[in-house]
Amino acid sequence: MGSVVFKNVVKNFGALNVLRSLDLTVPDHKFLALLGPSGCGKTTALRILAGLDMPTAGKVFIGERDVTRLQPRDRDIAMVFQSYALYPQMTVADNIGYPLWIRGTSEAGRKAKIGEVAAILEIGHLLDRRPRQLSGGQRQRVALARAIVRDPAAFLMDEPLSNLDARLRLTMRGEIKRLCQRLSATTIYVTHDQVEALTMADLVAVMQGGELQQMAPPIEIYDRPANRFVATFVGNPPMNILPAALCEQGVTVATGIVPVDQTRLAACRLAEIVEIGLRPEDCSVAPPGEAGVLQGEIYVVEPMGNETLVNVRLEGGNVQVRAGRDFRGVVGESIGVAFDPANACFFNSGGLTAVHRVNNNGRVK
Amino acid sequence: MRTGTQARKYRLQGAGLDLALPYLMLAPGLTIVLGVLVYPLWDGLRASTRAYRYGSPVADVGLQNYLHLWSDAQFLNALWVTVKFVALSVSFEAVLGFALALFCLHEFRGIRLLRTVLIIPMVITPVVVAIVFRLIYASDAGMLTALSKATGGGEVQILGNPLNAFIGLVALDVWEWTPLMFLILLAGLQSLPHEPFEAARVDGAGAWRVFADLTFPMMRPVLAVAIVLRTIDAFGTFDQVFVLTRGGPGEATRLISIYGYDTAFKFQQTGYAAALFVTIGLVVLALAFSAIRLLRRVDAS
Repeated sequence: MGSVVFKNVVKNFGALNVLRSLDLTVPDHKFLALLGPSGCGKTTALRILAGLDMPTAGKVFIGERDVTRLQPRDRDIAMVFQSYALYPQMTVADNIGYPLWIRGTSEAGRKAKIGEVAAILEIGHLLDRRPRQLSGGQRQRVALARAIVRDPAAFLMDEPLSNLDARLRLTMRGEIKRLCQRLSATTIYVTHDQVEALTMADLVAVMQGGELQQMAPPIEIYDRPANRFVATFVGNPPMNILPAALCEQGVTVATGIVPVDQTRLAACRLAEIVEIGLRPEDCSVAPPGEAGVLQGEIYVVEPMGNETLVNVRLEGGNVQVRAGRDFRGVVGESIGVAFDPANACFFNSGGLTAVHRVNNNGRVK
Repeated sequence: MRTGTQARKYRLQGAGLDLALPYLMLAPGLTIVLGVLVYPLWDGLRASTRAYRYGSPVADVGLQNYLHLWSDAQFLNALWVTVKFVALSVSFEAVLGFALALFCLHEFRGIRLLRTVLIIPMVITPVVVAIVFRLIYASDAGMLTALSKATGGGEVQILGNPLNAFIGLVALDVWEWTPLMFLILLAGLQSLPHEPFEAARVDGAGAWRVFADLTFPMMRPVLAVAIVLRTIDAFGTFDQVFVLTRGGPGEATRLISIYGYDTAFKFQQTGYAAALFVTIGLVVLALAFSAIRLLRRVDAS
């Protein structure tokens, strides 16, 4: 096992700048999710780590070893591909055993190891089949088995769940998390799904436009997003962002004035904040007309079963509010949105989070 | 319910013109097939059971022509030369074509031009190719002789020497038809999925192992089909030999097609030639069936 380090890694494809100086350190035994929208450079970063692409500049280290110019096979890594990349003409057993066979492991040793990982992934009964005779979920398990059959320094996973149907994805998400905890291996997991990143990873690195936006544990990414992009990309439904202006008692949001305590107000003033960010669960619906409540009208009501998502149109834009499952409202009806500004974060004109929520790990209700 | 007058407005399916239309539309094509394919085939089969003199059938001999083939030393030699020619040419073409296709799979500057240039021999008229090769091989003023003389050697005997003539013929065929092999195999290689190859590199395989464990097994069906198609085609080679050597010197390059041609048109033994070609036709048909079975197996996977 080993840590993984990217040092000023740059990647250009012709004139296209895909990675601009990526600096990233994954400590030993940690599960890192590389999260970002498509085209943000996360897959490129993974391929550079695997040795399938060469960086234009910069260095890559796996466990103290500079692997920047090494062939993939000399990097001591295992990789799971989005399309599983199984060897079509080999049986499942041969697929799993291939990394061992290449390394000259004896037949008996190979057999034992194949049986062991097949048991872990519950595919022991499929060993004689060929990949085309397997379902998507089974192929996924074979690909995972092939990766864990060795004891590599790091596991690389490139959106391994995105080819599965929604239900199977949930199951495999839990399974992969369990597997990685059991192996306690350094894992780099590329995904565009923020739920996967939050649920599975020890550390989340959010990328956009070829740059690392923030790297932190999932809870911190969620509660203390470094900037407007991270705030809106992580979380479902995403964080509400509204224009905000400072006044004597607090901030003016939409048409309402929301009182903010003096120390935070001073910080906001210093940072010249322009926007306020509110998680949907930190907002609540309230009778219109009360003090400190934002005035709006109901735009969409979406009952989810366990809760109701209410989209409220305010002066400065729409706001998603998580309401109780018994919420009843009619489109067009006038309604108020209440929130505690201690739960809000504030962005400056550069889109950076200038003032975070008051409480780090809990919510003020 | 609809009244009678309303019903008359609708056309029913599967009745009247609707029923006859498919047959009417098939009729012209069917007539042509019967006229130019089925009748000549039947006529050829009939001819193969007859003896001819001065171009006219004189007697029904049953299967005599077929049986006689197997005691005809010239036929057996022609068959042997053909088999040698097909085996050598097709294996060289397969190996060369595969190597070129693997090379042309890489993307680099000028690759498109290279791929186009490599296909050119295939699109030149075979007779023209043969004429050019005769100019290269000619012992008096040929290019090989000129080259040899320039470097201090003497005349180069290609078409006058049995072994050299045969090798020269194989070389011509390889030159002309490697591009077809290359084209089919390149298309096959390009249609292979990308990820297994990257997975193999990560799993630890070097270039040779990637080829032996992935590329070759994955390409086997395409390779098999290409070889069978080319084999069928090579059995019928005629024009190049006709222009280059006419089967000589002696019988060194006399392929089955040349022998059959001589039998039919030089010696006017129409019935015997028909039996010969029907026999070869059956051999090629068997090869074609194996090709189709291979194709089916590819589809199934």
